[in-house]
Amino acid sequence: MEYQKEVSQILQNIEKVMIGKQREVMLSLVALLADGHVLLEDVPGVGKTMMVRSLSKSLDCEFKRIQFTPDLLPSDVTGVSIYNPKDMAFEFRRGPIFGDIILADEINRTSPKTQSALLEAMEEMNVTIDGMTKSLKKPFFVMATQNPVDYEGTYPLPEAQLDRFLMKLRMGYPNEADEIEMLNRTDRTHPLDEIEPVIHREQLLDMQKQIEGLYVDETVKQYIVRLTAATRKSPYVQLGVSPRGSIALMKAAKAYAFVQNREFVIPDDVMYLAPYVLTHRIILRPEARYEGIIPSHLLKTILEEVDVPVRRELHG
Amino acid sequence: MKARNTATFIMLVAGFLLFWEWLRPLEQVTDTDGSYLFVLFTVICFLTSYFIKNGLGKFSIKFTAMLLMLDYLFLDARLFSGPWLQQLQMELTFNIDLIWQNNWVMMTSFFRSLLFLVVLWLMSYLLHYWFTISNKFFLFVVLTIIYLAVLDTFTVYDAQMAMIRTFIVSFVVLGLNRYLKLMEQSEQKSDQRNLWQWMALIIGVVAFATIAGVYAPKLEPQWPDPVPFIQSNADHIGFGSGGSVQQVGYGEDDSQLGGSFMQDDSLVFEAVAHDNVYWRIESKDVYTGKGWETSTDLNYELIEDGQVDFDTFSAQQVDVERHSATVRPDPNNPLPRVVYPYGIAQLTSNNPEAFFIDRDYGVIESESSEQSMNNGYIIDYDAPSFSVNDLQQSSENDEAAIRERYLQLPDELPERVGDLAAEITAEFDNRYDKAKAVERYFAANGFRYQTTDIPVPEGDTDYVDQFLFETQVGYCDNYSTSMVVMLRTLDIPARWVKGFTGGTEALEQPPLPDNYSLYEVTNNNAHSWVEVYFPETGWVAFEPTSGFSNPTDFYYEATEDGAMEQELDEETNPNPEEEQQEEDQETEEEEEPAQDSAAAGGNQEQGGWGGILYLWLAVGLIVMILGIIAYLKRHQIQNWYAIQRWQRLLDKAEMEKAYLYLLKCLDRKGYPRETGQTLRKYAKEVDQQLEVTEMSEITSIYEEYLYHNQTSNVSEQKRLQNLFKQLGHRIFT
Repeated sequence: MEYQKEVSQILQNIEKVMIGKQREVMLSLVALLADGHVLLEDVPGVGKTMMVRSLSKSLDCEFKRIQFTPDLLPSDVTGVSIYNPKDMAFEFRRGPIFGDIILADEINRTSPKTQSALLEAMEEMNVTIDGMTKSLKKPFFVMATQNPVDYEGTYPLPEAQLDRFLMKLRMGYPNEADEIEMLNRTDRTHPLDEIEPVIHREQLLDMQKQIEGLYVDETVKQYIVRLTAATRKSPYVQLGVSPRGSIALMKAAKAYAFVQNREFVIPDDVMYLAPYVLTHRIILRPEARYEGIIPSHLLKTILEEVDVPVRRELHG
Repeated sequence: MKARNTATFIMLVAGFLLFWEWLRPLEQVTDTDGSYLFVLFTVICFLTSYFIKNGLGKFSIKFTAMLLMLDYLFLDARLFSGPWLQQLQMELTFNIDLIWQNNWVMMTSFFRSLLFLVVLWLMSYLLHYWFTISNKFFLFVVLTIIYLAVLDTFTVYDAQMAMIRTFIVSFVVLGLNRYLKLMEQSEQKSDQRNLWQWMALIIGVVAFATIAGVYAPKLEPQWPDPVPFIQSNADHIGFGSGGSVQQVGYGEDDSQLGGSFMQDDSLVFEAVAHDNVYWRIESKDVYTGKGWETSTDLNYELIEDGQVDFDTFSAQQVDVERHSATVRPDPNNPLPRVVYPYGIAQLTSNNPEAFFIDRDYGVIESESSEQSMNNGYIIDYDAPSFSVNDLQQSSENDEAAIRERYLQLPDELPERVGDLAAEITAEFDNRYDKAKAVERYFAANGFRYQTTDIPVPEGDTDYVDQFLFETQVGYCDNYSTSMVVMLRTLDIPARWVKGFTGGTEALEQPPLPDNYSLYEVTNNNAHSWVEVYFPETGWVAFEPTSGFSNPTDFYYEATEDGAMEQELDEETNPNPEEEQQEEDQETEEEEEPAQDSAAAGGNQEQGGWGGILYLWLAVGLIVMILGIIAYLKRHQIQNWYAIQRWQRLLDKAEMEKAYLYLLKCLDRKGYPRETGQTLRKYAKEVDQQLEVTEMSEITSIYEEYLYHNQTSNVSEQKRLQNLFKQLGHRIFT
């Protein structure tokens, strides 16, 4: 495939910085290629920022970072019109959201108002400021992080809005060997400085386009739908995966297949991605939560129960 | 590895030696000739199985060998020429038709040999499998020993040497087998030397055990011989109405007559005699409706100085001629009783030993019974000639004792027997003519002599009634018993006598006086006939059996017609021993069948129900062996079937069906795909377990088809077929 070399090079680049996090790196790339966004839920200091920055550096893209604080205003995100006395006119100052790759750090620490400004932009691909609608250009990739430890003075994202994110990932701590390796590498120069861009933004857009056109067979679509339908039918579930979730899963699977250098999606892709794409879209009933059931376990059961298609007769 | 191969080969040779033991008795026990050819064929089969690895090669060699054998034995035309093929085809179609008609008896010996060769083929295959592949030997050893024991017990085959051979071979091999198993366990590299050491040890131990076993003193049997008991019971249980198949020969139990028997030309005794005489052993007096019994137990008296005081006829009334006969029983076929011609006067043994006689039935036994008889004995006897006139004028004033004893009949005897007797004899007024009329009746009325397909009367059926009115075929027992019974219904005292006919003159005659010859008497000469009582004369022998002639010498008085010595019967026996009046001297003899064991195969010759039974057994055996082979080969068969099916499906580009069938096969073989397991993961798992890569390769092609909707091209199809084939071999073996 055309971009196979580039893909593996990007992954290698990031892995220089992110030691022992191949899976998360790869999933992030998949989300980027699928034109989706990622919610990273983890404690500070495990390399969330590093990953986003290494990704953007590899891609030769504009990287922006928004540090969410309780006093951050929506205009701090989207931008603001300022009167320019010289020109006698309002002049629009673009906010950080107009970048290509945006790190929205600690998104749960800001007020819901500001949060929704970001979420709206993610969803609509444009922002409205002072009555003017401005489109965001592609590529547009938001990687939001939230800290699950702090509860005091935080505003957790409404569950119903979580599905604006294609995936929800956790970084987790590196294991011992990886951490030592990390120390070794940062000893003299930071590896981030050594990363060279691998592809241009045009190439990235082209890849995204190719992925959109990737073949998904009816059998696989059927499998996706069966999976999401199963989440809705489960007695433990209050709110199952929406059709938007099905679409998301298919998109992600296409990108994953692309990364795997395959021209079509197979159920393995779907199965592999399902936990990352679907878990945050499932809201369990309170009684199920009392019983100690968590969405990832439920999803695991569903994946075991819904059989993968092994024959063509779709309705047979 | 080399040692292993050598050991395997030794196992195979041993297997063949054991199997040979199965074939050895064939000639003796059955009518099979040229059994060396069958052995040769077996050798070919064994060697081919061992040395040729290619399945097709094996088959063609064995098949060719089979054709050559059949050609050598039966087909006259040049091999593979037109007429040859025609002959072959004719044989096959003819016999296959017979099979469809269930007409096993008519089957030609060509086809029987063919079937037998097929059995050998299958057996050799099976044994090869047992010995060299699955290393199982013990079962076959046990079967061989049982087989030999049965043959030894129930047939003429003497299995003593066979038993010793089997012992040696099987213990050597069992030891070797152990060696192979040890080698497998230890995984050690054992070189040839190791094997020879082991072999030397085994052979040493076995040789010692054999020698010690053969020469060590042995206890006499601690239990009574169960064979007669089994035989007498087996007579009754039989094989249903078909009757049992028995071996001809002398036996003591006549309580259940009937049933077929097979020919047995083994020698019973040799005799030097003046002319061809009937050899009497005993008579019996009580007819039960099924057979003959005696009314009293035997009551032996010592014969002093060899003077036999036992007369079946009155010497005063009958002309006699003194002759002498020498009897030499065959040591392999010991006869428990003395055979003697009519008119016996003096009995001299070559050994100083005592003889005992029972005067009621005429049974003479030596002191130590069978063993010491082997040396033979000399009999001086007065051969009688009866005057027909005297007999015709004989009175009918039988003594009370005679009447009581020799007019006995069972109450259940059907009346029509008596009616028939009365009808036959209606026009005659004297005892002699009546007896002659009954004697002639059978041959004159289409009764046929036959030894096979003779029923045993069951339930209420009377033996005589069945013969006279239903079957009208039979052998001496049927004729003689019927005559005795008919005469008794006419109030003529008569009894049933057993013994041997005169036998055949030996091809090589020693120098002997005029009119003396050496006769060979075999089991086939066992016979039964009739004695009729005449008050003044005594007991006179009659011969009702079709195809036999009366040995008794009858003559007309010169006064009558000048036809003085006219012999009434076509019989050329001038050596008539005459039966005197002897109420009791009887020896039983007759072709009382010694039970033939069913283990003796190959006696299809004798046909009848028994023959069919054996053929069915043979067919059953073939089916069973085929079944076992199918079971042993089930993996290959499944494999073959699966591969055929895959090829067919793939040829039709039915990738999906082929793959799904593959899943099914794997599932059956214990590699089930779990629900929710993707094909790729499953394939990987299967590959790991089977240590192959084909499943993943196949699966990736299938994924292209299933999830990419791409059909494979021709070269890929070829590759796919190969992958399926390889995987199939792996799955099923």
